[in-house]
Amino acid sequence: MKTKTIEKKKFTFSDYWDRYSTITILAIMIVVFGALRPSSFLTTGNLVKIMEQSSITILLGLGEFFAILLGGIDLSVSSIMALSGAMTAKLMINAGFDPWLAILVGIVFFGLFVGLVNGVLVTATGLPPFIITLGTQAILRSLVYIVTDARAVSGLPASFSTSIGGKLFGVVPVPIIVALVAAAVLTFFTVKCQSGRNLYALGGNTQSAWYAGITVKKHTIIAFAISGLCAALAGMVNIARLAAAEPNAGTGYETYAIEAVIIGGASFFGGIGKIPKVIIGGLIIGVINNGLNMVGVSSYYQQLAMGCLLIIAVTLDRFFGASRKS
Amino acid sequence: MEPIVQMKDITKRFPGVVALNKINFDVCPGEVHVLLGENGAGKSTLMKVLSGAYKPDEGSIVLNGKEYDKLTPHLSSEGGISIIYQELSVVNWLDIRENLFMGRLPMKKVGPASVVDYATMNAKTKELLKKVNLSHCTPTTNVGDLSISEKQMVEIAKSIAFNARVIVMDEPTSSLTEDEVQKLFTIIRQLKAEGRGVVFISHKLSEISEIGDRITILKDGGYVGTYNVSDLTTDDMIRKMVGREIKGTYQHLPEEHYQFGDVMFSCKNLTRKDHLVENISFDLRKGEILGFSGLVGAGRSETMCAVYGAAPKISGDIFLNGKKLKIKNPYDALRNGIGMVTENRRETGFFQNFSNQRNIAIARQLKESKLDGLIGLTNESEEKKMADEEHEAIRIKWTSREQLTSQLSGGNQQKVILGKWMAANVKVLIFDEPTKGIDVGTKSEIYKLMRKLADNGIGVIVVSSEMPELLGLCDRIIIMANGRITGSYDIAEATEEKLAKAATSEMA
Repeated sequence: MKTKTIEKKKFTFSDYWDRYSTITILAIMIVVFGALRPSSFLTTGNLVKIMEQSSITILLGLGEFFAILLGGIDLSVSSIMALSGAMTAKLMINAGFDPWLAILVGIVFFGLFVGLVNGVLVTATGLPPFIITLGTQAILRSLVYIVTDARAVSGLPASFSTSIGGKLFGVVPVPIIVALVAAAVLTFFTVKCQSGRNLYALGGNTQSAWYAGITVKKHTIIAFAISGLCAALAGMVNIARLAAAEPNAGTGYETYAIEAVIIGGASFFGGIGKIPKVIIGGLIIGVINNGLNMVGVSSYYQQLAMGCLLIIAVTLDRFFGASRKS
Repeated sequence: MEPIVQMKDITKRFPGVVALNKINFDVCPGEVHVLLGENGAGKSTLMKVLSGAYKPDEGSIVLNGKEYDKLTPHLSSEGGISIIYQELSVVNWLDIRENLFMGRLPMKKVGPASVVDYATMNAKTKELLKKVNLSHCTPTTNVGDLSISEKQMVEIAKSIAFNARVIVMDEPTSSLTEDEVQKLFTIIRQLKAEGRGVVFISHKLSEISEIGDRITILKDGGYVGTYNVSDLTTDDMIRKMVGREIKGTYQHLPEEHYQFGDVMFSCKNLTRKDHLVENISFDLRKGEILGFSGLVGAGRSETMCAVYGAAPKISGDIFLNGKKLKIKNPYDALRNGIGMVTENRRETGFFQNFSNQRNIAIARQLKESKLDGLIGLTNESEEKKMADEEHEAIRIKWTSREQLTSQLSGGNQQKVILGKWMAANVKVLIFDEPTKGIDVGTKSEIYKLMRKLADNGIGVIVVSSEMPELLGLCDRIIIMANGRITGSYDIAEATEEKLAKAATSEMA
């Protein structure tokens, strides 16, 4: 009875920004680049290309999301991407594995399992995830160089590179489908599953989570395992697109992943964020890189633009994001 | 003799409470002045006024014959006031001499540059260490390697180095052995002989009789009086400390509550891995509210954490309705129907990033999910139902289910937490300081809810530092001191004197 009175509150810029900040940034950028280069930027072909180029950032970002949701970070995603790609390629070419079996082993063993190890290290040592994953980033990258002898593993079966790296019905690039399916599954996980909900609780307040009966260690391990799994998916997409596994694949991509998550509105302190916004965050990065190319801006300036955008987006969130006001 | 410090009619108000009401306190050279009072009586607040951290609303402070309107921490320490808190403030990773001269390192000129004069520093440190009987340490010993008692001595040495005229010691003996206490007393006597004043805060009455010269007793922020320690027996001290009129906001017990059912929940020989509590056993009967009384640090919360599985135990069995429970973590406790309303709502009670609805739903959802809470689906409509039911039943004031719990008042946050456990259908609910920081109106609502839970057959255990709260609410009260149970009274025979006596007993 008395609760009804307060409902008609004025819809402020703050409310708007809280809900639609990421999509607004994306829309503004598409409009700006579209206006500058209507004939080349705003073509179906180019937009599809942007999505395809973004799929790796999105996949890495989806995993990174869970590490950041816990208030942590996973710096090893780029190395996991390289390792799982290289090992899958090796299994196909040197060990003669069926491509699908090689993919399965690559994802489960060199993605999920490696992420699990990250999680176990974090919970067992009690060290900040930054330190643990900074360590595993270096270790895993080194392993990639050791197994590949620092040379590209090429000659992947055509059936593999055309199926994962190709296009469905000749139109939709498969990498986009992989990224969207992963995002859909993870959205379900975060919205409907109890363990997904628990991760938000854990990221909001570890102490409260422990006292509420959430098994803190197991959930932390799960978050890092998901991160590893997504990184391995990115690894598969990457080798399929290039039809080869480069030992230095994905170097520095962890920054893109983190940027996609943060631009996507997740709180760096944990507990706040949404999976679909990670997709938009990843697309924003893709649009910037592609759009600046189209406009003819030197690639030297692209990082500069990314950096500025990141700081501006988070600053706006800091001051206008309604959920952070309290 | 002219007192070093003279505080007159000090009044300090905080929103909603009068923390200090016309308190008089003075310290003369060469005396040990004891400050005695229950938890929350105002001892710490008074010392914070003396240190300049709080500005009193009324009253005057005279320090070394000079009256101060605005006593700042800087002026206070310049005037010779030095406070040694229970949580020692030494820096563990620095050595003794650096701790002693932190911020005031002796300097010397070398050409145009001014550099630290280590020779002077070492010599002065050695002299100070000798004064506090730490001659076995060198100036370069790391403070982190010292025992608590030795660290305390370093703090005292630091006070002397600062030329302190009054040294306040806040419960200095709480973590010392009998031997170390005697060593501390030797130093205190020496400080007296040098003409310094010592303010000694302690709950241990026998120590007070041994070392104190005068004693000032506070009660609920009010001034009881200042006496010569030799004129009071320990019983007198207790009476003066707790002898308040019982008035207030809690429920008095109707007669029928003296009838209880069988024992529903019990704990046998519980000892924590860190030995903060040892050998705790108690029974809870159906329909009964069981209270735990004691001083801060007596091990009450620590016991409850161990029962709830939030802290590791090395021994102890917990039974619910005759069945032995295996509780390794709070998840096990929850699965077995035990809930805990923790003392610090913000840190351990609810999730700041969760809406009211989610904060209420989480316990039942976790309870119903499988495999350590990993497997299970959330159900939005069921969540809403839970939130609405508890909103109705406990009358939580919120603008909507979707509002963040962190935006509610403390009392309503506590109601959300209560709603969470009620929605989870717990069989035993432990309350740790359930009304801390909650306004009077909500307090009595929470008491009524607790009584209703007990009437409905839910086991209710309350830890509280407020004696009137326990006396008004509970049917039986267990008293703890030093990690052990030192007494147990049915409400009919419980009095504040008895509780205070058991809480300060040193039989453990």
